Amino acid sequence: MTDLALAVRGVSVQFGGVHVLDSVDLSVRSGEIRGLIGPNGAGKTTLLNVVSGIHAPGRGDILLDGTSIRGHKPSEIARRGLGRTFQTSRLFRGMTVLENMMTGLHRRTDSNIFSAGFRSRRAMAEEREAEHAARKSLDFVGMAQFADRRGTELSFGQQRVVEIARTLISEPKVVLLDEPAVGLSMNRLAEFDLLLRRIRDEKGVTLILIEHVIRLVMEVCDKVTVLSSGRVIADGDPNQVRNDPQVIEAYLGKELRARYSAS
Amino acid sequence: MPMFCRRNVLSGLFILALGVPAFSNAYQLFVANLILIYVLLAIGLNVLVGYAGQLAFANAAMFGIGAYATALLQVHLSWPFYFAFPAGTLIAMAVGLLISLPALRLSGLYLALSTLAFAQFTQWVFSHWDNLTFGAGGFKSPPISFAPLPVSKPVGLYYLSLIVATCVTLFAQNVVASRIGRAFVSIRDGDVAAQSLGIDLLGHKALAFGISGFTAGLAGGLYSQLLNFVSPEGFDLFQMVIQKATIVVGGLGSITGSVLGAGAIIIILELLREAKGAQEIVFGGVLILFVTFFRRGIVGSLQQHFRGWDEPLHSARPIGSALPSQVRLGEKESLS
Ligand SMILES: Nc1ncnc2c1ncn2[C@@H]1O[C@H](COP(=O)(O)OP(=O)(O)O)[C@@H](O)[C@H]1O
Ligand SMILES: [Mg+2]
Repeated sequence: MTDLALAVRGVSVQFGGVHVLDSVDLSVRSGEIRGLIGPNGAGKTTLLNVVSGIHAPGRGDILLDGTSIRGHKPSEIARRGLGRTFQTSRLFRGMTVLENMMTGLHRRTDSNIFSAGFRSRRAMAEEREAEHAARKSLDFVGMAQFADRRGTELSFGQQRVVEIARTLISEPKVVLLDEPAVGLSMNRLAEFDLLLRRIRDEKGVTLILIEHVIRLVMEVCDKVTVLSSGRVIADGDPNQVRNDPQVIEAYLGKELRARYSAS
Repeated sequence: MPMFCRRNVLSGLFILALGVPAFSNAYQLFVANLILIYVLLAIGLNVLVGYAGQLAFANAAMFGIGAYATALLQVHLSWPFYFAFPAGTLIAMAVGLLISLPALRLSGLYLALSTLAFAQFTQWVFSHWDNLTFGAGGFKSPPISFAPLPVSKPVGLYYLSLIVATCVTLFAQNVVASRIGRAFVSIRDGDVAAQSLGIDLLGHKALAFGISGFTAGLAGGLYSQLLNFVSPEGFDLFQMVIQKATIVVGGLGSITGSVLGAGAIIIILELLREAKGAQEIVFGGVLILFVTFFRRGIVGSLQQHFRGWDEPLHSARPIGSALPSQVRLGEKESLS
């Protein structure tokens, strides 16, 4: 039980009477890379929002490392070791890439307004360490050369890689990635499964990723969960899920049909 | 480091400020002292609006509370200025923290409106609670004496203001360059992402309100001594406009900008005294010109023209779109 990094138990969410999530269960073991797929509007992002505390679940419970985080504030959940990225770029526009990274370290540092305002020796040492850690973490994702750029000068894909690093820098246990491969250059995309594995293996992070690049999901994920209209319709290892008739109907089928009717 | 950089400009201004009493007449000393008071106001407001992105309109009221509290403690309880001043400052800060409580859950125009309502309420208390505040006509507050130091009251007050303004400038510059400043900017630039990094929204908003209350309180206490007269008019909506103007003209999200903006606005206002009656209209015109041609304030222009001008965490957005998340009528940031 406790080797479950994340457990979602019967979570339901309604927006204006519409069931966006309908008793969703999800159990992710520690050290797993889990893929979360499903057609547009299936509720994947909403599930991440519920887990990270942005939406409260109408019903159900969420356990992070065995303890319930239901009803906790997003900042508290983050402090308990859950990191996430978003579907759109969320770099802070008024900061450089390096400052963005250092902001990711917020929960790992503790100088307060007085020690910062008076530049206490400890606060200054902490600041230097934070900068060092920030550069190291940028290096880990291959973005070190952009440290002093503004986030807005980077391409969309580059911004999103920085956001992954910004989440990793605080050493979370579980990281949720919402369509991380969107906007990546061909080069980066080719190496992206390697990066995901390194995040798991070198940082010991459990990963849950929403992804539309099926090749990536099949290659890198230990298990795949398929969401359709707010319900889990399949859950298992990638090949098994790929051949599940329900999945083909709900997800791949829809796309295929759309493709045929379009041509 | 290039010659023309933030640090050198501020040091130069400080040295200039040290010498002001030696080469200025009484009026010029008064204006210089007024500038120092507005430096305090601008820094606090810039932390709240420019860094933390909270579109609040209570700063003039907190300025007034600092002035009233400092002066009334002297008048009613016969406290000496040196106790009344810190006490008045703490009262203004406490009020700042108090009004932040409802404000913490509001954003955008709702926050603007609720803080405006608070400002109007404060005005009403200043003018109507006659037993405490002496009503709309205002009251005199006793001038401080700097004995046994051999300085006159105006010169002594000027140097006291210079010490306070210098300390607050250095302290604020350190804070905004630290993890606290980054937390403020992260809340301004994306509160959902900030929270997902473990940044406590309410705590940091309260801190920003507390800082602005504190500096407004300091400014108020000094202002009550500068005029030795306190009345409600000084703390009305036009006062709020002046303070906003200092940070917009100086540069949102910049401590140096606050200092330069305070100087620029006070000097402009004093020059406009000649244009009696038209002061507010001309002032408005100057502001519009500024927002049109120097969209990121004085500091934005300095940054553009002097490559060595390092300005950490300066707002990346031009003034016209500086606060989109607030202006969108409380609309929540999209969550996907
Ligand atoms: N804040 C919200 N308010 C109302 N409806 C929402 C909200 N967020 C998402 N939805 C709806 O919930 C459904 C699932 O959305 P989402 O979780 O973003 O899907 P996915 O990420 O799988 O594409 C969609 O129909 C969307 O319109
Ligand atoms: Mg989505």
